[in-house]
Amino acid sequence: MKTIRELLREADPLEHEPTLPSGDRDLRRQAVLAAASGSRACAGVQSSSRIAVFAIVALTLIVISSLGSRVWSPFVSDVQGAVRFEVRLAEDKPARGLSAAKVSDSGRTVYLHSEVIVDNGDIATASIVQGDDPSQYAVDLKFSESGGEKMRKATANHIGKPMAILLDGRVVMAPLVRSPIGDSAIVTGHFTKAKAERIVNGIGIQ
Amino acid sequence: MNGKYLTSALPAVLADNPVERLASLFDAHHDRLYRLARRMVASTDDALDLVQETFLKAARFPKSIPVGAADEEAWLVRVLINVRRDQWRKTSARNRHDKARFRGSDLVSGDQDPEAALIAKNAVWQALDALPPRRRAIVVMYELEGLAIPAIAALLGISAITVRWHLSMGRRDLVGALKAYIGDTNEDY
Repeated sequence: MKTIRELLREADPLEHEPTLPSGDRDLRRQAVLAAASGSRACAGVQSSSRIAVFAIVALTLIVISSLGSRVWSPFVSDVQGAVRFEVRLAEDKPARGLSAAKVSDSGRTVYLHSEVIVDNGDIATASIVQGDDPSQYAVDLKFSESGGEKMRKATANHIGKPMAILLDGRVVMAPLVRSPIGDSAIVTGHFTKAKAERIVNGIGIQ
Repeated sequence: MNGKYLTSALPAVLADNPVERLASLFDAHHDRLYRLARRMVASTDDALDLVQETFLKAARFPKSIPVGAADEEAWLVRVLINVRRDQWRKTSARNRHDKARFRGSDLVSGDQDPEAALIAKNAVWQALDALPPRRRAIVVMYELEGLAIPAIAALLGISAITVRWHLSMGRRDLVGALKAYIGDTNEDY
């Protein structure tokens, strides 16, 4: 028989787990700092360092131009895959330049940015995984190296906001971004097995 | 839209270095917060999320963070517990238990009777999950971190009597849930 303290110590996860990998910590650090930069932007604080201004302008232009090349890609991927896959950043509130879209199987509406972050061409592999409910299936996507990089870049500045996943132009889910998303994503759209297979096969066609 | 982003992004990094302050807060307190968080949620990912959410609150309200290591830590710990409390309220008791069970399966160690040890750990996690987060944090700090009651009181900004009360209520709940595993229950605070 044991004391409460002994029981707690034996069940203490920190005693049984390896120390936290510094990579995990760094990723979270990045996400927090990116969000902080974003919220300062909204506050509109004045300042004066020109070098930083130029650096940000340059960086933003690079990001915009790299995103810009993706804008037309849905039409290209029509040819590539039987199922057109896109990830776009979204907002909860309407604003100029955003287009409203209903999220499938829910009454929720999100407002999509026009830029496509990744599409079929950025997926390395797609496979079926079983959802929480045995009759429901999800699709596990692994991005290519460049696709993962694009996702990380886009999501790092979008913490706390929705990211829309579209299949054939319909938003199947719009989860909130909690941390930068990199190499993979699981699309849980409450699919039947047949639907999940169709998506996987459709996406996989190169 | 892009143009708007350009102009609104400009002042971001240039302000009086709130981002730098946040970076140093993160570096100074992340590990301490993670250790507390890990003992309050079901997985390492949940713990990382909880700590991240805490720092995101700090990012949103930079002016409300006091200066000085001890005060910063206290502020962050309180925010973390509040964030956890909001999550905890949203999750039904049943989900919490499911999660606890799932989590327990990771915990098999080299004990002589792994199955019995696992069952005991599951029971402990379920019992802890049923405690309101602030009470759980107090139990964790006292029993696992080895903090003294006055130190916990200072950290949480409450009286030592309140801490003692939470400890005894927490102990009562844990004893109730873990009767089968407990021998001597006469520990005093």
